[in-house]
Amino acid sequence: MINALAYPADLFSRSFVMILFMWVFFQLWRVTYGSTGQESISGLTLKDTLWYLMIAETVILSKPRLGREISTQVKDGSVAYLLNKPYNFLLYQLSVSIGETLMRMVVNLVFGGAIVWLAVGPPPQMPAGLIVFPAILLAWLVDFCMVALIGLFAFVIEDVSAFEWIYSKLVLVLGGVLLPLDFFPDWLRTASLSLPFAYTTYAPARLFVEPTLEGAMALIGGQLAWLAILGLLLAFVFNRGMQHLVINGG
Amino acid sequence: MHIKSELRFLSALWRANFLSLMEYRASFIMAVFGMMLNNAAYFIFWFIFFDRFEKVQGWGLSDMFVLFGSVASAFGLSVFLFGNVHFLADIIAGGRLDYYLSLPRPVLLHSLASRSSASGLGDFIYGFISFLLAGQFTVDAMGRFLLGMLLGAVVFVSFQVIAQSLAFWVGNASMIAAQASNAIVTFALYPLTLFDGTAKLILFTVIPAAFIGAVPAEFVRAFSLDRLILMVAGAITMLSLAVFMFYRGLRRYESGSAIQVQV
Repeated sequence: MINALAYPADLFSRSFVMILFMWVFFQLWRVTYGSTGQESISGLTLKDTLWYLMIAETVILSKPRLGREISTQVKDGSVAYLLNKPYNFLLYQLSVSIGETLMRMVVNLVFGGAIVWLAVGPPPQMPAGLIVFPAILLAWLVDFCMVALIGLFAFVIEDVSAFEWIYSKLVLVLGGVLLPLDFFPDWLRTASLSLPFAYTTYAPARLFVEPTLEGAMALIGGQLAWLAILGLLLAFVFNRGMQHLVINGG
Repeated sequence: MHIKSELRFLSALWRANFLSLMEYRASFIMAVFGMMLNNAAYFIFWFIFFDRFEKVQGWGLSDMFVLFGSVASAFGLSVFLFGNVHFLADIIAGGRLDYYLSLPRPVLLHSLASRSSASGLGDFIYGFISFLLAGQFTVDAMGRFLLGMLLGAVVFVSFQVIAQSLAFWVGNASMIAAQASNAIVTFALYPLTLFDGTAKLILFTVIPAAFIGAVPAEFVRAFSLDRLILMVAGAITMLSLAVFMFYRGLRRYESGSAIQVQV
């Protein structure tokens, strides 16, 4: 967290991106809702949609680029200095990134929230919407597992940038970052909800605008299930990766 | 004669840049195709959007193909031919203009064209694919697309030169310039009809995104002399401002006196 505070210009430049996106989204959805003449589309009002997009963007813009970090450490051999320390390598990566992530989240929530509040009014469901915070934490953990898995592929193929790229696009589209899954055709929504990507962005954003017990059970339940599956897979791949590790340089 | 010689110099620079990119053929091809796939993945958003809403303020999927194509090709052409357009502020702040100042060639042109971005070629090609997917197969539509894209590229490069030239006054301007680039590309990718009066004014002046996206796209949809004049006037104004700002700033430039090797 202190690291993130050391570069305030970087933090605020990210908030500029947030302001820009939310303002463009407001213009797009204001006109779209206006042209359909409906107050609610697939159960989401204009206010819901914008607050949904604000949370989804916050989750995406706040998370650190961890996959590249891990693959760089594997490629340049610096992973050797971390592996022989008396702590778990994966938990170390998680703890290093979480402080920075939290700082970015606060800045994005403040700036993004301010724009959306000014545009469409306060969040639709408060204080029940506060359930978003555990959902965001779980979303980051699910994301961490997938990103770390990709980073660890560097033990085998060294350059993992193509996998990172594919993953980011899958989250962008099937995770509902640009468009809530509720607006998808039925078949695509069903497919998206059965994949882990939706639980990194859609789950917290949707819960924020409609924090019902039923929704929480389904979405947080989905997050926990994917966390368990991906966590186990990550532990397995990490142990296997250690057997493939070749340290370059001295 | 003078212009001819500069054009020969430019084409020699572009050729050298291209050969340099081709030195790492696999990574060049990956960058080009990677960017094309990147654009296609982003465009899925509009497929789903228009599948649900069909038309918004008179804009449909085929219009978005043209809009996206215009922006992608203009941006791609800019960074492929003038790859330093995103690094000018760093060159100025790092005192690396010395190299260009010591040669008998136009400093701005030389510095901008001394780098080429491989992914820019991917954007450039994807723009044409996107345009063709809109189903506009006539020669005059293609001619309007090409003209709009070229004028859009002039506006994009000029806007970036203005933002990057702030480095002459404020030192480290790379972050401001990067945000300016983000802003102009983001706004250019949306139809102008989404925005109200004040926002439209901004998109024609402070962040001239309309000249890169919406205006060229509307020009492709149907020829209009007014739009053509608007695009040409926009490109000339932006280019003049960029050249003025850069050379005005250059008077304040202080050499780093560092020994540099240009590769």
